[in-house]
Amino acid sequence: MRILLVEDEAPLRETLAARLKREGFAVDTASDGEEALFHGREVPFDIAVIDLGLPKLSGMDVVKGLRDAGQKFPILILTARSSWQDKVEGLKYGADDYLVKPFHVEELLARINALLRRAAGWSKPSLECGPVKLDLAAQKVSINDEPAELTSYEYKVLEYLMLHAGDLVSKADLTEHIYQQDFDRDSNVLEVFVGRLRKKLDPDGSLKPIETVRGRGYRFAIPRNE
Amino acid sequence: MTSMRRALSLHARQLIAASLGLIAFLGLTGVALDQAFRSTLVDTMEMRMARYADVFWNELEFDRKGRLIVKDIDNLPDARFNNYRSGLYAQIQTARGDWQSESVALFSLPELPDAGKVQAPELSGPLQLPVGEDSSIGAYRYTATAEFETRKGPVVATLRIYEGEQEIFRQVAGFRRSLWAYLGIAGALLTLVQVFILRWSLQPLRGLEHELSALQEGRVQRLGRQYPTELHPIANSINALIDSERGNLELSRNTLADLAHSLKTPLAVLQSQLENHADPDRFREEVYGQIQRMNDIVSYQLSRAARSGHALYSAPIGILPHAESIVSSLEKIYRSKGVLCEFEIDPKSQFSGELGDLQELLGNFLENAFKWARQRVLLTVRPLYEPAAKRPGLFLCIEDDGAGIAPEDISKILQRGVRGDERVQGHGIGMAIVQDIIQSYGGQLAVDRSAELGGARFTITLPCLS
Repeated sequence: MRILLVEDEAPLRETLAARLKREGFAVDTASDGEEALFHGREVPFDIAVIDLGLPKLSGMDVVKGLRDAGQKFPILILTARSSWQDKVEGLKYGADDYLVKPFHVEELLARINALLRRAAGWSKPSLECGPVKLDLAAQKVSINDEPAELTSYEYKVLEYLMLHAGDLVSKADLTEHIYQQDFDRDSNVLEVFVGRLRKKLDPDGSLKPIETVRGRGYRFAIPRNE
Repeated sequence: MTSMRRALSLHARQLIAASLGLIAFLGLTGVALDQAFRSTLVDTMEMRMARYADVFWNELEFDRKGRLIVKDIDNLPDARFNNYRSGLYAQIQTARGDWQSESVALFSLPELPDAGKVQAPELSGPLQLPVGEDSSIGAYRYTATAEFETRKGPVVATLRIYEGEQEIFRQVAGFRRSLWAYLGIAGALLTLVQVFILRWSLQPLRGLEHELSALQEGRVQRLGRQYPTELHPIANSINALIDSERGNLELSRNTLADLAHSLKTPLAVLQSQLENHADPDRFREEVYGQIQRMNDIVSYQLSRAARSGHALYSAPIGILPHAESIVSSLEKIYRSKGVLCEFEIDPKSQFSGELGDLQELLGNFLENAFKWARQRVLLTVRPLYEPAAKRPGLFLCIEDDGAGIAPEDISKILQRGVRGDERVQGHGIGMAIVQDIIQSYGGQLAVDRSAELGGARFTITLPCLS
């Protein structure tokens, strides 16, 4: 999952970025409104977390600017102002949720996961396709209630594919959303991860969870349980 | 007083208006009296002429040959008929000869046709009467006719009397002099009286001005004088404004002091924990707890400061648009829960207060309802009327179909003066904020079970303003 984190307070930004990376996100950060708007318009993020009080361009204007530019990814706003007037305003301009400072990082992660699920059309806290179950909060995968041991990159690939279960995901998309900006993008590595995932999820070859669409990408083929 | 041109003073306005009125009144009076006097003069002249005519008819005779004779010219009614160019001229025309008075000399009266038969007497003029080669005077002409019996049959005589205008001019001029002198004196007196009345009636305004400047200099605390009926409401409003201003100042001071004091407790806890070398896990937990507590305190006091008393005369606010924008925000946040919020809002409902307060009330109660509801939330709003009240009150009711609140928890929720650490789980600092708002409007909050939806029901009543 590729996330845009916009926060001008350096210690908070760095702590949050470190935590998000530990949680498996590809994190891009920005420290002012203009930078945020520039990144947000160019990069296909999965979600953005934007502080409202920013230098150069206010968070509200960034949200407005992103929506005007046609970006549809979910946006969560962080604000020190807790009055309803500010909340209503932020949501009106196109944010999807708000979190009042100070907050627990766990709360932020829960909100981010909820927004990601919602944006992909999932309403339950865990993604279930046939016997495969992926718990976004705990980052655990199970098949027929048997836990599956995945490396963090394998998990990330599966999470992205399952979030968009049924849809075609191109290799470029997958790479974009899984790696950091500066990561070496070698599509062979991706193929290796997908190969390993197939073996772990489907050791006897009966389930065929990930389908390769030749020359175009992958699709998670087991239908959603909802 | 920052406008480029200062508005004309009340004193000047009144003085200008009254003076213009006075001038118009006196001027019209003068003109009317002048006209009346002139027409009286002309009427008097006509009566005199008629008398002259009677004398002429008496003096008029016809001799044996039937010729016209005026018997005793010394006995004419006015000596001026005999004085050379005196300004009073008479002329008689008959078929048996003509006559004219001695005063006509070296010029001739205009030749007019003989009337021929008896007619009603008539005064005409002013007209131009030539009295020499190239001079003429303004004059009136009186024409009368009479029939006489002579031996040679009846004869009609036409008498024309001319009188110059000088006499009338002289009298009018005299009249005007005294008329305008009296009017001038009356005008001056009235102006004086008016200035006095103005000073007297504007005296309370000047008093208000003095008291206001005394107020600014801090010599008095509020307006205390007795003001006339018209100024009474102004003085009252100013006093109310002063009180509200003072109240706001007091409130901000209190808020600031409360904030500072209430932050000291969690700080003290943190300090003691730090010095106690407590085990890291418990210390971490304590820090979290105290951060939460400080955050609640700051949020609560911030919301109080933002309100800092409500404005004195705020325009009433319609409920529906604000309820809609808050509900659409909440529906966005709770989208995955699929909660349906129904409105039952009387379009006449209005909130007489600060917009921010209304948003806090609706926002906090509705968010609670969205949080606890399974599927449905119901918002009911209607105005409360009371006879003689200037603005209607408001009835707000928020219901949900959630688990509801246990009766033993209700009193805890309604506890006043809730501090950050004494709250009922799930009903956060928002509850303390809305209770504060409701109290500041003199309203009431009740919590019970919703008859319709089965969950919690919050009922807020805000009283009418009188």
